[in-house]
Amino acid sequence: MTLEKLGYRIEPRAETSGPARAVAVSGALAASLVLCGLLFLAVGVSPVTAFQSLVQGAFGTWRAATETLVKATPLIFTGLATAVAFRARLWNIGVEGQVFAGAMFAYWCQSAIAGTSPWIQLPVIVLGAMVGGGLYAGVAGLLKTRFRVDEVISTVMLNYIIVYMLSLLLLKGPWSEAGGFFEQTAKVDAGAILPILFDKTRLHLGFLLALIAAALVYLMIKRSPVGYEIRAAGSNLRALEVQGTNSRRVVLMVMFISGALAGLAGMSEVYGVHYRLKAGALTSYGYTGIIVAILGLLNPWGVVIAAILFGALVNGATFMQIKTGVPSALIYAIEAILLLFYLAGWAASSFKLKRIKP
Amino acid sequence: MIAELLETSIIISVLAATVRIATPILLAALGEMIAERSGVYNMGLEGTMLMSAFTAYIGAYYTGSLWLGVVIAMITGGLMSLIFAFMVITLKVEQIVTGLALNLLGSGLSIFWLRAAFANAGQTPTIPFFDTVPLPLLSDIPFLGPILFDQKLLTYLAFLMVPAAWYFLFRTRYGLELRCVGENPKALDIKGLNVAARQYAAVVFGGLMAGLGGAFLTVGSAARFVPEMTNGRGWLAIVIVIAGMWRPVPVLLATIAFSFLDALQLQIQGIGVAIPYQLLLAMPYICAILALAIRRSHSGAPAMLGIPYWRK
Repeated sequence: MTLEKLGYRIEPRAETSGPARAVAVSGALAASLVLCGLLFLAVGVSPVTAFQSLVQGAFGTWRAATETLVKATPLIFTGLATAVAFRARLWNIGVEGQVFAGAMFAYWCQSAIAGTSPWIQLPVIVLGAMVGGGLYAGVAGLLKTRFRVDEVISTVMLNYIIVYMLSLLLLKGPWSEAGGFFEQTAKVDAGAILPILFDKTRLHLGFLLALIAAALVYLMIKRSPVGYEIRAAGSNLRALEVQGTNSRRVVLMVMFISGALAGLAGMSEVYGVHYRLKAGALTSYGYTGIIVAILGLLNPWGVVIAAILFGALVNGATFMQIKTGVPSALIYAIEAILLLFYLAGWAASSFKLKRIKP
Repeated sequence: MIAELLETSIIISVLAATVRIATPILLAALGEMIAERSGVYNMGLEGTMLMSAFTAYIGAYYTGSLWLGVVIAMITGGLMSLIFAFMVITLKVEQIVTGLALNLLGSGLSIFWLRAAFANAGQTPTIPFFDTVPLPLLSDIPFLGPILFDQKLLTYLAFLMVPAAWYFLFRTRYGLELRCVGENPKALDIKGLNVAARQYAAVVFGGLMAGLGGAFLTVGSAARFVPEMTNGRGWLAIVIVIAGMWRPVPVLLATIAFSFLDALQLQIQGIGVAIPYQLLLAMPYICAILALAIRRSHSGAPAMLGIPYWRK
């Protein structure tokens, strides 16, 4: 309005040049760093000290670096889960709940065979997590295909429901630790614990599984007919239907794959890090996974990189809190700011300012 | 249990609680309804309400004035929705993703700020909260009086916003133009009217209302701030707009239905009936899904809802 009075108009570019996009996005990232610096100043801490302690806490030692990868592991899974769904333009906001469902179903299956060999228990928890997460996401898929319920709404509602379901099972429920005070299960059977990859670290098999999952998702999207359908669904579901593909089947399949990946995040946290099932071990990975997926450009390897970056943030923040007193909760604010600026920068680079006749 | 629940005093207390619980959701839902009528789907309601609830608390704590807290919350809601509006109307970023970003921002920023402001975040200080204002004469009406007319000022305001929103949408020229923006923005544009300005106004209005709703959670009832205390109310408000077919009176009815579930849940817990409380707490979300599944068609949705308008 005012811009047009000045003789300019914002117009979409026919195609965005690579450099323009890079400048816009890195500008956005820089802006979010500045904003974070201001947040540090607001709580009376020098931004330099804060950023330094953040990096030191994340990568300062071998132990810190592996811990960063531990933190990144569930985010790789949830980031992949989000990326697969978003690629098909299915807004699965329910990864958060599917992490719970995967962990719960894995736990249910595993506790039935506790005491058996790891060669039996480990495959069972992996498959159990995938089935649990996949089925819970499938509920949203079914609601969409059968009852035309928008998946954004249904997945969010399902997120809230499963938290209460877990609480129901844990608090004085069938899964509660005998004589325990907290809302959690007893420690899991040693045969179901994910093996540690390097001595004297906490890095566990889950990280390796996450990398394998990334590779498989990459192959699936790029090389397989399923990937073609996912990409086609993302650009035009109706055209897919005209072509003779059953779009309902595609929706259900994508939701199942997405949920299965999310479930693995729950499994890896329970059996790789906490060794027991409790809500605190599972929260917020789903929502952070959305940011990870978007910053990773919905590309599996991009997701891995973004997840490691976020793992570093989370890990570094704990150290930062000890060193500088800045609450580690700052990280969640930073993540959101990063996402907002990134989206804005990305979008801004697809516009140009055009001189119009006054 | 049934006999206990049917006692008049209990019925009155459940219904009065329904009206109270409905307040923040109704405020947010009416605002969202106006925003969606302009074609913009503000999915960031949860974060907007949460952040406003927080700033209302912080504002009231430091200024000592509850009303200043409310004003600060409204400014917060307005600012957050302004960010949203800029992202989706000017930059045309995907509305769902932007909304999520806003939710994460509200969640992250409020927890960070809370921890930064109070060393012991587990034991944050309580603040006073609004008293009920019984309306003279009306509150003496048997049965209805204590339910409807012994409430807080923000509750009266929320319910008065229903006829106000109806009048605005269906009886004023601005309301007609706003509905047109959501249905056929091009027609408005051709007439030389500014589509983006109307969308901005609607979205920011929605933010102010969400801010008011958020404020009610802290200075209106809880008297303190707890992380994630909105607990899905922002999302329920969005469901209510859909279930209420984008019309003020059905939106009111849907809000009452959800709030009644919540009030009943509190009462059943209070009596100590042996139903697991988690099941009762999950009821609003389960019912939300059922409500949307049963209704099937999205009748009443603005034609351009969620689709950015490109001026060619």
